[in-house]
Amino acid sequence: MKSSFIGRVALVAYLVIFFGYLLGPLFVMSMTAFNSSAFPSISPWACYTYEWFDVLFKDERILNGIRNSVIIGIGTVILSVSMGLAAALVLTQVWPKFRSTYYTIIIAPILIPGVVLGISTLVFWDRVSNFLGPSTEAFLHNGIFLTVLGQSTFIASYAMLVFVARLQRFDPGLTEAALDLGATHTQAFRKILLPFMRPAIASAAVLAFLASFENYNTTTFTFGNYPTLTIELAQKVRYGINPSISALAFIIVMLTIFAALANEAYRRNKQRNEDARLKGVPRKAGRVLPSFLTGNPAAIIFVLLSFVVITMFWTAQSYDPGECKARVLAEKQALAAERIEALRQQRFQQRLEAAHSGVDIFGRSTVDPTVTEAPAAPESNGAFGGVFAPTNLNSTAPAAEPESNPGGAFGGVFAPTNLQGTDGN
Amino acid sequence: MSVGVGVNLENLWIRFGDFVAVRNANVNINGGDFFSFLGPSGCGKTTILRAVSGFLDPSEGRVLIGGNDMAGIGPNKRPTALIFQNLALFPLMKVWENITFSMEVKGASTAERRKRADELLDMIALEGQGDKLPSELSGGQKQRVAIARALCAEPDVLLLDEPLSALDLKLRQHMRTELREIQQRVGITFIYITHDQGEALTMSDNVAVMRAGVIDQIGTGHEVYDRPATPFVASFVGENNVFRGKVHEISGTQALLETNRTGLLRAEITPAAIGKLNVGDDAMMFVRPEALAPVGATVPEDKTVIPATVLNEEFEGNSYSVFLEGAGGKEIKMSLPNLGQDPEASKGSELSLTYDARNAVVMPAGELASE
Amino acid sequence: MSKPRPFSQFFRNNGKVMGSIMLFLVLFWIVVLILLPQLSMLDFSFRHNLPPSEVGGPKDVYTLDNYKFLLFGAEGSDSRFNTVDLQVFVRTIIAAIAVTILDLILCYPLAYYLGQSKGKGITRLLVVMLIIPYWINEILRAFALRIIFGDAGLINDVLLLLNLIQEPIDFIRADVALYAGLGYAYILLMLFPMYNVIESLDRNQIEAARDMGASWIRIHRRIVIPHAKPGIASGMTMVFMLSAGALAAPQILGGPSSLWFTQLVYQWFNDSLNWQQGAAYAIVLLVSSIVIVLTFMKIFKVNMGDIGK
Repeated sequence: MKSSFIGRVALVAYLVIFFGYLLGPLFVMSMTAFNSSAFPSISPWACYTYEWFDVLFKDERILNGIRNSVIIGIGTVILSVSMGLAAALVLTQVWPKFRSTYYTIIIAPILIPGVVLGISTLVFWDRVSNFLGPSTEAFLHNGIFLTVLGQSTFIASYAMLVFVARLQRFDPGLTEAALDLGATHTQAFRKILLPFMRPAIASAAVLAFLASFENYNTTTFTFGNYPTLTIELAQKVRYGINPSISALAFIIVMLTIFAALANEAYRRNKQRNEDARLKGVPRKAGRVLPSFLTGNPAAIIFVLLSFVVITMFWTAQSYDPGECKARVLAEKQALAAERIEALRQQRFQQRLEAAHSGVDIFGRSTVDPTVTEAPAAPESNGAFGGVFAPTNLNSTAPAAEPESNPGGAFGGVFAPTNLQGTDGN
Repeated sequence: MSVGVGVNLENLWIRFGDFVAVRNANVNINGGDFFSFLGPSGCGKTTILRAVSGFLDPSEGRVLIGGNDMAGIGPNKRPTALIFQNLALFPLMKVWENITFSMEVKGASTAERRKRADELLDMIALEGQGDKLPSELSGGQKQRVAIARALCAEPDVLLLDEPLSALDLKLRQHMRTELREIQQRVGITFIYITHDQGEALTMSDNVAVMRAGVIDQIGTGHEVYDRPATPFVASFVGENNVFRGKVHEISGTQALLETNRTGLLRAEITPAAIGKLNVGDDAMMFVRPEALAPVGATVPEDKTVIPATVLNEEFEGNSYSVFLEGAGGKEIKMSLPNLGQDPEASKGSELSLTYDARNAVVMPAGELASE
Repeated sequence: MSKPRPFSQFFRNNGKVMGSIMLFLVLFWIVVLILLPQLSMLDFSFRHNLPPSEVGGPKDVYTLDNYKFLLFGAEGSDSRFNTVDLQVFVRTIIAAIAVTILDLILCYPLAYYLGQSKGKGITRLLVVMLIIPYWINEILRAFALRIIFGDAGLINDVLLLLNLIQEPIDFIRADVALYAGLGYAYILLMLFPMYNVIESLDRNQIEAARDMGASWIRIHRRIVIPHAKPGIASGMTMVFMLSAGALAAPQILGGPSSLWFTQLVYQWFNDSLNWQQGAAYAIVLLVSSIVIVLTFMKIFKVNMGDIGK
């Protein structure tokens, strides 16, 4: 009894840790999209804001990346799904002696590092274009062409696995029956096999598109002049972060959650209908909830989450973080003033000591001009901050503020360049 | 649809690698016949069917349908329709779409197809069920849909691959009659594959009994049952008591067999073995359980008598099966009709069995069907 | 004569049109997308990095220089071996193995739990929750960890707040973030294959073993793990190969001083523009990963056919 209790506690603790590891980072990242702090973080929490979504939607490179990703994704889906399906069909018919060799070859791309696939694609087509002459170069060096080929090399393996699983439940007798009834092979394929494979084709296509969309390792060698979203993201993440990436992440997380829930709800509903049909009892709608919601937690969560998102959209139209920002700014200014005051005190002490002991002052002041000019800083800062001061006090009229690019305004205040700039006056 | 199209197999060999699935089959099937291939699983009967329908090429020999060589003609070009063992109804299509699939691939209009589907649904007594999915039908209904689908293609030859094996006993018996009726109504050639001798005997005009790729005998149900050509046919088709021995004497169409344990037994020489059996040869004699009877008060002069002890008896409704032990532990089975009285044979009692020599057959010794 | 005729049978089964389309697609994939590029990269790795005018000229000969460079470094360098790159290589392989084992330990209990509590509502919810991070971009997942592990990240802030530490810990430089990120990136590829095989294990077997008095450890050692072996092998192979070949996570989460081997490959290609050298490094990575996986499969007697199930 006691040991089973400990076991349950251990299980729950383990599940919490596991899912915390899995979902926690995504949650934190999503939250940072709503923090006005210029660096993505949730602590310290500054202001709740939607501004990073604006920044995101105005980012040409991101939008261009999405466009390229979609084009490449569609190409990859078409190529890898058709190759995967053909390969799976051949697998069911291949001469038994060759089966394991054949399977090894078509499964290998999953295991080959993506970097290697990208390089080999690049090297191979470079040689092909050298061989064929410069007229083909434009086409063969096209980033879209190379990326589609490079990604399809391994994504087709994933598609193939999906098809093999589905084909195991296909009765080849159905194709034979169609042929026997006078259908041509093409008709039998189109009317019998294809409808049977349709769910698998749909899931393989979704899988292929997502795999293509998020691929980095292969694409980074082949993208040429067509950077995908993932490439752009990687550039941004490596060379400078701002929370607009979090905003994008939040959108992707939400889309994923919605898609997963919708899929789950649909499957649950379908299964329940099936059960009801087999029992021969028509499903009755619940008194309160429509029938697709009864006993379908995924559908309920889906609907609730939709409300949350709609509410967010709605508030985003009217919500204005200006007041909060001004307050935070004021706090920061106060903090900065405090620090600078402290610094000045310290310098003053040091100078006193230095003067006392006769250590050279000029050397120091050239190395760090802020020290000598420090007294000027609070004043100019104060003048700058004075613009905001009325808003701060007069909280009834905050609406005038957000027009002036707030991120830049107060992001700049504390940047060292700004401090130096004021020094220059 | 009056005469029907015949099917001929000429010196047909089918090999898979080193394995010989069909060995030199020669069969002439008359137009309009109900012809069965009967044999245990793995004897090659389905292979023959696939060669006729065009799913595989013979390694040697020819398949002729209506006198035309079918070499190089694919299954979708042959005038045959096949009913699969598992029926192979298209699960995603409605019943009427299933039935008229052969019209769909030829480009018939929906209205035409609907009309034809209704006719065929009438014929198989499934009026108004055309819009269901196959998964919503019972086993017997699916069976009939498969038949309708095959008939809709208007084949000259209908091929049936153990179509009743998945049904329960009652339905199977019902479908036998129904199939036979349909065949007589449409008048086309049916080629039927089965391992169930009851099906083969009740429905067929002619039966070919197969063993390990070889056709042992072709004949009417009566011929196969009463005058089996080989020990395999004798033991596979129906139940039989087998007695082994050497030919002691041949007189006309009859022979006297000297058995190891039961003494001298007389039987007809089976027609296929006439002239092939000589005195001193190893031979087998078969006598059906229903041909055996206990000896009454007087023993007829010309009949052989087999003494035996009753081991057990089983009541089977219309008959009793009596299991006996003859001399030297020889197992014998006798079947007695249930005439409303207790059988005379009670457990442990000693009986003398006899049979009419015209109801027993003798032939050269050979391989028996394994149980 | 009695030899099988695979091609004629293939076309008979599929028809001329469909058969040709299928054959064309499969051959295109295998030959043009898989085999030729790999062979061409292999060939490339044995060549000099020449300006375009000299390609095909007398200087364009096969050479082992690119591989020698990885082993011994540039000619005339003072150390005997190319210790910098070799260290990166060894570190990459060892760290990838460590990440694989970490993921295995983390996933096994969950795979067992999910696999054995089949069909319950909570299980399906958990599976949905598992799938969600699976579809989030690899870059974004690494970015998420960077937010958490960064200098001013969540963990440091929490630790500072609780007064457990006085100075922020540099998780990035200590490679903690990198290992956490790699484990995070591929954890589901470990979980799902294991979950699938454990789900197919008949629960009665466990009950029977328990009935006979076997301890939990013994049940797992004798029944569950042998049954789950193909899934475990599949998961470990995928996680190892993908970790060793990862590029995004090391670029985003790696410390400034410690490189991942794929980053060297990347540098040869994109920074130094020495494709031949990069190809040689890529070949070394590919071959050594495959050798390690095959050795592992040999030791644990797993077949290639089990991968990808």
